[in-house]
Amino acid sequence: MLTVKNLHATVGDKEILKGINLEVKAGEVHAIMGPNGSGKSTFASVLAGNEKFTVTEGSVEFMGEDLLEKSIEDRARMGLFLGFQYPVEIPGVTMANFMKMAVNEQRKFRGEEPLSAGEFLRMMREKSKVVELDSKLTSRSVNEGFSGGEKKKNEIFQMAMLDPKLAVLDETDSGLDIDALRIVATGVTKLHTEDNATIVITHYQRLLDYIVPDYVHVLYNGRIIYSGDKTLALKLEKEGYDWLINDYKE
Amino acid sequence: MALLDYIKNQSIDTAAASSVITLAEGGTAELYLNPNDMSVEVSEQQSRSLIILHQTDDAVSLSVDVAPFANIRIVEVLLGKGCVDCMVRQQAGSRCEIYTILLGDAMADYTIDLNGKEASNMLRGAFVAGGDERQRMGVRVNHFSSDCQSDSLIKGVAGGKALGEFNGMVYVAQDAQRTDARQTSRNIEIGREAHIVTKPQLEIYADDVKCSHGATVGQLDSEAVLYMRQRGLSEAQAKRLQIEGFLKDVVMSLGELGEVLAEELTAKLETL
Repeated sequence: MLTVKNLHATVGDKEILKGINLEVKAGEVHAIMGPNGSGKSTFASVLAGNEKFTVTEGSVEFMGEDLLEKSIEDRARMGLFLGFQYPVEIPGVTMANFMKMAVNEQRKFRGEEPLSAGEFLRMMREKSKVVELDSKLTSRSVNEGFSGGEKKKNEIFQMAMLDPKLAVLDETDSGLDIDALRIVATGVTKLHTEDNATIVITHYQRLLDYIVPDYVHVLYNGRIIYSGDKTLALKLEKEGYDWLINDYKE
Repeated sequence: MALLDYIKNQSIDTAAASSVITLAEGGTAELYLNPNDMSVEVSEQQSRSLIILHQTDDAVSLSVDVAPFANIRIVEVLLGKGCVDCMVRQQAGSRCEIYTILLGDAMADYTIDLNGKEASNMLRGAFVAGGDERQRMGVRVNHFSSDCQSDSLIKGVAGGKALGEFNGMVYVAQDAQRTDARQTSRNIEIGREAHIVTKPQLEIYADDVKCSHGATVGQLDSEAVLYMRQRGLSEAQAKRLQIEGFLKDVVMSLGELGEVLAEELTAKLETL
């Protein structure tokens, strides 16, 4: 589904990604861990197409197409979803209106008819249950005045609405209390199927108690320096990164 | 539905000076199409609701007298290159709400005199300038009596090579104790060649007052645009949605008419 080869990316003059290789197949869950500043969020942003970063080398293939030549919105419409670490507040734009446009843009891209108002409302109601999101929130402005937990639930709600092929969740667990973490993580698990894939970026093993990964990768200094199965996350939680990264320090 | 269609659907006589239309949310309003200079009075404890639409390039002056404990709501839209000078005098305990929208190459000035105790005024304004248009909105609120309230919120958007101007003044006379006045100007410039100039001012001679004013001129929030594009909206859609959201609270409380006005604003935004 996703093949990343030797991906290099810079912001300004600074190289952040220094040759990432990653293969994600349908049905898989990958976790990316690593110390602060290692390039995890940049990797997520580059996959999404954030124009702040420049890809200088390498390739990314998604659903058989060259991802890097697509615009941000086309990547989204193809089925790439980024769960933001810091979801943005958009005053005056209601969740319902925003999601209706997003869902219908995606449908248009696939050559499908737009949803009727009734179908859309039914879909909103059904999907908001995935993350126990208060349905009143959908009539409020996007993320405006939402608590930290509500913002993250709202990310997963949008993921449920858009039903992506590949979801990249950038520190979706940060700033969540134990209950919100459980709800958000369980939501992600409910959405997982044999046909889609998830990349979770996280600092904490506890998220992976719910979202059990098939692979755990350690990103350090712009490269994936180590990969393992779910037991790697437990080992990192206990022992930290020192035993891994000493060889890679600049 | 555009504003003109909305009005046509009210089956009114466009040749008459004014017509009465029924509002979806209940009540009626007097509709004035391209009026000449006019003067309006609301007698004691009475209520009036006016919708004034200017499509011409004329300069029009409007004089409004609001008697004690009377209410008036004025919705004014300038579609052409018109120029409106509106003078409102409010007596004790009266209430006045003004909604004003500039969509053409227009100018509108509002002077509000709060002459009696406990009068209150609320003004909501929006201007959207594109191409090489030049728009100006002025709001002067004179607190001449004590215990009055005023609250003005004016939002401006300029695109292309347009210039938008807001001139605000809250004047509080020496006797106008316990005045509660607020004036806020919020603006968005789209592109490098668009300009907004905003000048909110306060002049206060009383000592027991609560007054605030604020002005901002900013650009679109690029993080919000990125966020919306990541959900599949095009860049143009994301920008438009954001500006619509920005302008929405100007007309939000106007029910169905507010929705029509919001669409009118959106239509104008599409031309920027």
